[in-house]
Amino acid sequence: FCGFGAMRRLYVGGLNHTVTQKDLKDRFEKFGEVLDVELRTRKDEEGIPYKTFAYININISEADLKKCMTVLNKSKWKGGTLQIEAAKESFLHRLAQERQQAADHHLQRSTTEAKKQKLLDSWSKAGVQNFTMKAAVPGSEVPGCKDWVVSKFGRVLPVLQLRCQKGSKARTVKYDPSKYCHNIRRLDRTDPDETLSVTQLTWQVEGGDDDISKRRRGEFPPYEPIKPKKSRTDPGDSLNTFSRIRNSCWRMLRKNVFMFPATCHGYDPATTVRSEQNSDRNTEVHQLTNGSDLPTNHRAAQREESDVDSDEEIRSLVAAQQSSHDALQQEAEDIDNLEVVGLDYLVKSGSKGDEEDYDSAGTDELFESRRKPPAPPQEKPSSPPAQQFSDQKRQMKRKTTPGDVSSSKPSSSVQRENPAGVRPAIKHSSDSHSDQDDEEEEGNSSDSSSDFDFPALFSANSNYLRISLADLQRLAESKVPSILRSGLKPESGLPGRHARKEAITPNEILASILGEDSSDDDKEHKKKKVEGVTSASLQTSEETATQRETSQTDGRLRRKREQEQDEALGIQRQKHGETPEALRDPQTDSSSGSEEEEEEMMSAEDQPSSSSSSEEQEQQAGAPAPGSKSSSSEEEEEEEEAPPRVALAAKEEEELQRKANMRRLAALQQRQKEAEEHKKLIQGALANLDAPPPTTGKRIVFGSDDEEEKQEVVSAVEESKKPLFQERLKPSGPRLFDDSEDDDEEGDEEEDGSRFDIRPEFEGPAGQKLMELQSRFGTDERFRLDSRFLEDEEEEEETAEVQKGPMEDEEALEEEKKKNLSILQSVLGTSQQASSKTARKAKQFRDVSALHYDPSKEEHTAFETKTEETKKESKAARRKKREEAQKLPEVSKEIYFQVSGDLKAVFGQTNDGSAVLPSLLSADPSSKSEESSGFRFSFFGDESAAGSGETAEYKTEKIQAPKVSWHQDPRFHDSSSEDELEEDEEEEEQVKKEQQSSVEAKNTKEETPSQPDFFFFSSDDHRLKEGPRLFCRTSQLEEQREEWEERTSTLRQEYRKKHRDAQRKLKSARKTRGSWEV
Amino acid sequence: MRPLTEEETKTMFEKLSKYIGENIKLLVDRPDGTYCFRLHQDRVYYMSEKILKLTTNFSRDKLISVGTCFGKFTKTKKFRLHITALDFLAPYAKFKVWVKPGAEQSFLYGNHVLKSGLGRITENTMQYQGVVVYSMADVPLGFGVAAKSTQECRRVDPMSIVVFHQADVGEFIRSEDTLT
Repeated sequence: FCGFGAMRRLYVGGLNHTVTQKDLKDRFEKFGEVLDVELRTRKDEEGIPYKTFAYININISEADLKKCMTVLNKSKWKGGTLQIEAAKESFLHRLAQERQQAADHHLQRSTTEAKKQKLLDSWSKAGVQNFTMKAAVPGSEVPGCKDWVVSKFGRVLPVLQLRCQKGSKARTVKYDPSKYCHNIRRLDRTDPDETLSVTQLTWQVEGGDDDISKRRRGEFPPYEPIKPKKSRTDPGDSLNTFSRIRNSCWRMLRKNVFMFPATCHGYDPATTVRSEQNSDRNTEVHQLTNGSDLPTNHRAAQREESDVDSDEEIRSLVAAQQSSHDALQQEAEDIDNLEVVGLDYLVKSGSKGDEEDYDSAGTDELFESRRKPPAPPQEKPSSPPAQQFSDQKRQMKRKTTPGDVSSSKPSSSVQRENPAGVRPAIKHSSDSHSDQDDEEEEGNSSDSSSDFDFPALFSANSNYLRISLADLQRLAESKVPSILRSGLKPESGLPGRHARKEAITPNEILASILGEDSSDDDKEHKKKKVEGVTSASLQTSEETATQRETSQTDGRLRRKREQEQDEALGIQRQKHGETPEALRDPQTDSSSGSEEEEEEMMSAEDQPSSSSSSEEQEQQAGAPAPGSKSSSSEEEEEEEEAPPRVALAAKEEEELQRKANMRRLAALQQRQKEAEEHKKLIQGALANLDAPPPTTGKRIVFGSDDEEEKQEVVSAVEESKKPLFQERLKPSGPRLFDDSEDDDEEGDEEEDGSRFDIRPEFEGPAGQKLMELQSRFGTDERFRLDSRFLEDEEEEEETAEVQKGPMEDEEALEEEKKKNLSILQSVLGTSQQASSKTARKAKQFRDVSALHYDPSKEEHTAFETKTEETKKESKAARRKKREEAQKLPEVSKEIYFQVSGDLKAVFGQTNDGSAVLPSLLSADPSSKSEESSGFRFSFFGDESAAGSGETAEYKTEKIQAPKVSWHQDPRFHDSSSEDELEEDEEEEEQVKKEQQSSVEAKNTKEETPSQPDFFFFSSDDHRLKEGPRLFCRTSQLEEQREEWEERTSTLRQEYRKKHRDAQRKLKSARKTRGSWEV
Repeated sequence: MRPLTEEETKTMFEKLSKYIGENIKLLVDRPDGTYCFRLHQDRVYYMSEKILKLTTNFSRDKLISVGTCFGKFTKTKKFRLHITALDFLAPYAKFKVWVKPGAEQSFLYGNHVLKSGLGRITENTMQYQGVVVYSMADVPLGFGVAAKSTQECRRVDPMSIVVFHQADVGEFIRSEDTLT
């Protein structure tokens, strides 16, 4: 119960989300005076409200409340069932109350206050103002006050009696602050006034219509798939939010809420650690306390809050509560640096030389992403790095404005709360105030993680240096040359980062090239490795160590100035970098002094970037070209830092050159290796063109659907092949079907499809059979054996393969695979129509139609020679060919006349029967039996040549003729490795057949040019009568025999005569020769 | 050693599909040769046809392992994935989770992945979706099951479990004797 009289706070749940504050107010007005209505809506991820409730502050009597409960509770209103309960008091109210109580309590202890006042009075008499006494010798006592002495810098401090630990003899030790260093905190209590008022505990993000500020307020745009890295940029972007939030709210509000008891009871002066006054707290606290003391800072700040608050303030606070809550939630989201990546996120690489990327808990994604672009095989969304850079830039600029110094402190506390991803952003800001944070950071990172990424350490380290440099310049303005300051403030951090990025990449590349194994996470192990590769990283490792030392011993300012100089040196060194010199052992570096090492570090940052920038750019030709960016920024840096450059000692310069040379050599070597790698890559890529790696998975053809795609893809290839087609076509003889050719050219995709449909049917032994069958019907369209006949083909195939021993297993496996796929289909519920059978077919299709010429493939050499041949054939050759083709008919003409003339007379009676039948060959079994004694081929050829002249011409010309001559070489056809022998034979067969048929077609064309109806057969077609005659003998067998006997006898005589003549000649020749010899 | 029955295949594919979805197809129907699953002593092995032929030279009781063990069927006929399958599943994994280096060790000792150790996660990961766990250096470390969806992962407190441990490469050492 609270102290506001009859004021009660009611919870009203189950509201419809359309309910407004006014609605509620009207509804509750009749029970009492409604002071405040606070409406809350819970929304899910998509922003759809799913729960609405309200808190109502109402002045209500007990009876009214009861009435209200009975009336309204569980009543239905606007589609929801109201639920009314007494709510707990708002925490802000309670806070205010408890503060009030504390204040009351405080008043009771006014006696101590009075005592203190007395002390202060006596001090003021003695001339002490605000704990400082001017113009007093340190160590002198404050007059009138026992145990208070003036310490260094005129500050008045008490002499302390410290109780000793048990072991020592003396019970107490007197601690005189004037005799010791000034490292003590003031043990004073706050004035109650100094605490923050309750109003200041909550906050509100300022408005603004842009995206970011909306997000800060917790208003998100409708859900859209997050791009990889987007969330990563958020922390950087909202640094400002961070600082503000941290400063005003995160700490205080949170602590106040959750540690409330501590605030109310925690005013024990002895235990409270006092911080400085609010005004100078931000700067001074950090000099007094290390980063590790930050939790105490939290507490201190929290205790500084005021105890008294007006009701108005509270009221306004309560009104602002909702937004604060939302913002808090958002805030919480921001701090967890969970990165969400898209489905298409590419894993960098499995296991090869990735130790560089192997970052520890603190190692930032930023560096990782930055390191990525240089490595060529690793693909990455290109935009994020640039985005981050810009973010950082913005951030840096913001930081450099002096007003923001305060913001940096809370962010350091952030750092502790979330040690990971947001670090890069925060580190910079934490650097701004004190160097000790830096040192601590380094200590942390190196100590805490055994698996810390070394290059990351290096980079992070250099980062600190750059930034702290800039900040220090700001801090110690008077001592630093003004030119440098103005130049470096906004940019010194940034180019440094670019440069560092470059510096890392060579290491990485080298490491990857050398192929060192990636699996070790041991830091030392890694360090050794990196030492082996480059000296730069070695230097940095020493650098970190020495820097820690120096930081402990030296004043920060001094060191900073050193670094500044060193940076200038480094740049100068960079200019000397290209002059060749003798190699130097990297170990000598370690022995040199800390200052030098710092210098080296700087140069190490800059040098590799300059030496390797060109090749970097080469590498990143396709990439967003951060290399060029970095180089430009480097130039900027150079320009800026040129004025303060200091002349170098000769010795130093020498050393520098040596180092530079070393680096140059390393870069050269590296470039060589890169080139080799590049070559290998290209080779690999070319080798894998036809069979893409399974990881990409996109180009693998599984179904016939894909196949079409494939054809489209390769249509370009076909285009290139087309002239080849045409060249071959023209010499093939008189063109009968120009139209079809043209069609072929135009809609070649479809045509190809239809063409290649035929092929698989004629595959394998079963296919051969089918082919045979088809050939029996000639090339008649109507008797074409197509896919319907494939069914028994498969059966046949199976039976055939049962007989074959080794093929059995494969078939079983195939079956298994098929089964697996079908199961997979059922499991996934999607259509997985890819069976291995079709896949194989598709492959063959591709081999023929979508032949992708690959010079690195051995199989394609056949193709290569083929194409060359075609190119060699000149026009003259083609003409010659054509002439030959035209001559050819004459030869066959004679044969034709010879045969037909006799046939007509002899086999007149068979014509009647065969004329009815459409196919001559099948119709006449007698002729078949007669002729079939010979080779099958010849039979077929004879048949087509002799008999079905017109029909053959009709069919073959239409479908296959354009390709026939071109296909003469079977090698060309089966560039795929899987083609079987049978297929070859088959093709030969086909080719021969078609050649002959085409020849025949020409004959017949010349013979029967007057025939108007070429494609039709009427029952009284004279061709049907004539044709069969060609099959039959023109004379009786006896006649032939007689004829033959006559002929043989004459021939024999002739032969004998000739033989005799020849012998005689030989003899005479010998005689003459013999006489000559004698 | 025998081919898997239909039921077994289905069980196994259901499990695998939690991790690699329809990419199982790429395992079954490989362009570089014929590969198959074989059951041997309740374990499922994935091997090429060539190796399959070679195994015919050994008697069943003498054969310990062949090819790559994908997992085993429990007595209750459920399929349990072994870490040895990681090499084949990691490249095809649809949903991935990256653990921070600090949490790597914990995971490799067989513990679940906590929110604090979660470095990166594939978007739109559903609850109870099988995931492949990677280190931040993209080295596959094992399998897990998402305990929370991606959206939930962003909200939950750092000590809550986001990925249930299934198998990790630490098992190569921890359960060396049972892992074949």
